[in-house]
Amino acid sequence: MIYLDNGATSFQKPAGVYQAVCKAMYRCANPGRGGYAAAEEAGREVFNCREAAADMFDCNPEQVVFTSNCTHGLNIAIHTLVKPGDRVVISGFEHNAVTRPLNLLGADIRIAGRELFCWEEILESFEKELKKGAQAAVFTHVSNVFGYILPVEQMATLCRQYGIPFIIDAAQSAGILPVSLNALQADFIAMPGHKGLLGPQGTGILLCNRLPQPLLAGGTGSESELQTMPAFLPDRAEAGTLNVPGISGLWAGLQYLRQSGIETICRREQKAAQLCGRLLAGFGFRVFSGAHQGGTVSFVPDMDCEEMAQKLAQQGICVRAGLHCAPLAHESAGTRNTGTVRVSFGHNADFCQILALERGIRRIKEE
Amino acid sequence: MKKEWLITFRSVTFAQKGERVLREGNISCRLQRTPKFLSERGCSYCLRLQDMDAPIAVELLRRKQAPYGKVYAIDESGKAEEQAL
Repeated sequence: MIYLDNGATSFQKPAGVYQAVCKAMYRCANPGRGGYAAAEEAGREVFNCREAAADMFDCNPEQVVFTSNCTHGLNIAIHTLVKPGDRVVISGFEHNAVTRPLNLLGADIRIAGRELFCWEEILESFEKELKKGAQAAVFTHVSNVFGYILPVEQMATLCRQYGIPFIIDAAQSAGILPVSLNALQADFIAMPGHKGLLGPQGTGILLCNRLPQPLLAGGTGSESELQTMPAFLPDRAEAGTLNVPGISGLWAGLQYLRQSGIETICRREQKAAQLCGRLLAGFGFRVFSGAHQGGTVSFVPDMDCEEMAQKLAQQGICVRAGLHCAPLAHESAGTRNTGTVRVSFGHNADFCQILALERGIRRIKEE
Repeated sequence: MKKEWLITFRSVTFAQKGERVLREGNISCRLQRTPKFLSERGCSYCLRLQDMDAPIAVELLRRKQAPYGKVYAIDESGKAEEQAL
């Protein structure tokens, strides 16, 4: 199998991740609840992962809240900052994980930056919207459809300059690009554990620079006599039993990234995407490539995109077609009607994957 | 006679952070559940440590911004007395 759908989830994880999940299933009870050995071991696993994440994302361990995925974290963050009718500035490349919660809340959504790979355009448009006033801004670090790396440092600076709280969606960047809560001074940064961080599905992280409003209320193993959620992190946003096997696996993923170096992985993915883009262009497809692009490349083939993905799947090549849960991004790029085929590379990107994709497409063209 | 000391924390995460700080300062301690009679708002965790280490431990926790709650001295009969360090 040639797996090129890392934008959805990283599928071929480092061996240590599988082992850690399995070990935790055998050895860990409920963390932060009991005082016996299996509960203590669970607590240690969770804290070790919290510390490793804090180290990678430049914050304190208690600012790391474990969630079940990036969407969960984004929902906590959005529900904390946004009230019905609030004016919220977003980029033109947001995922439904951002736009649906905002629509559910009845926010007045303002879109800034619709041009792919153009930092000048988004920065100008973003500042223009911020100047008009807003209660919050939410923007992705990297487009899940096109791999477009947004200028988040500059966007964060603008938000701070205009005093507007903001949330960064690091779904496609965590574990691939540097992300620092301390440097960006975002109110929240949400990320999945199962994509670039190489943990199992069902894991995610919300980095908190302020106290969130709980989305769920329940047991935390702390201040049990109170009928309100604790007013401190991470407990305030971690009601109920944590996904300890998942978090153990995530810790193994973080250790792997630390050893391999995220810069190395990023370079490998970017190089693969560039080569892939050139190859796809050679078939005469409309390919979305440009400056500030990560390890993802999208293209419009000369047939229905779902049909192309299906034909590749029959050859064991896994890509994703359609709207990628990001109709806004497709609207910005003018591909809402056609959709695209997305090729997204992972930590194990190599030239053989690109050659296999080329052979696969060639076979389809020859049919 | 004071035998052992307990430093309480509001959550297991704070207690683990405190444990890390003390271990890095070469102070041995044991993370455990706070005895019910010392637990002000229900469940919490504490660090148990030896008498001689307590003042240094508290100073270290303060310096490293590990948010602890209260400090108790426990005598041989198990009686706890809050201490201001």
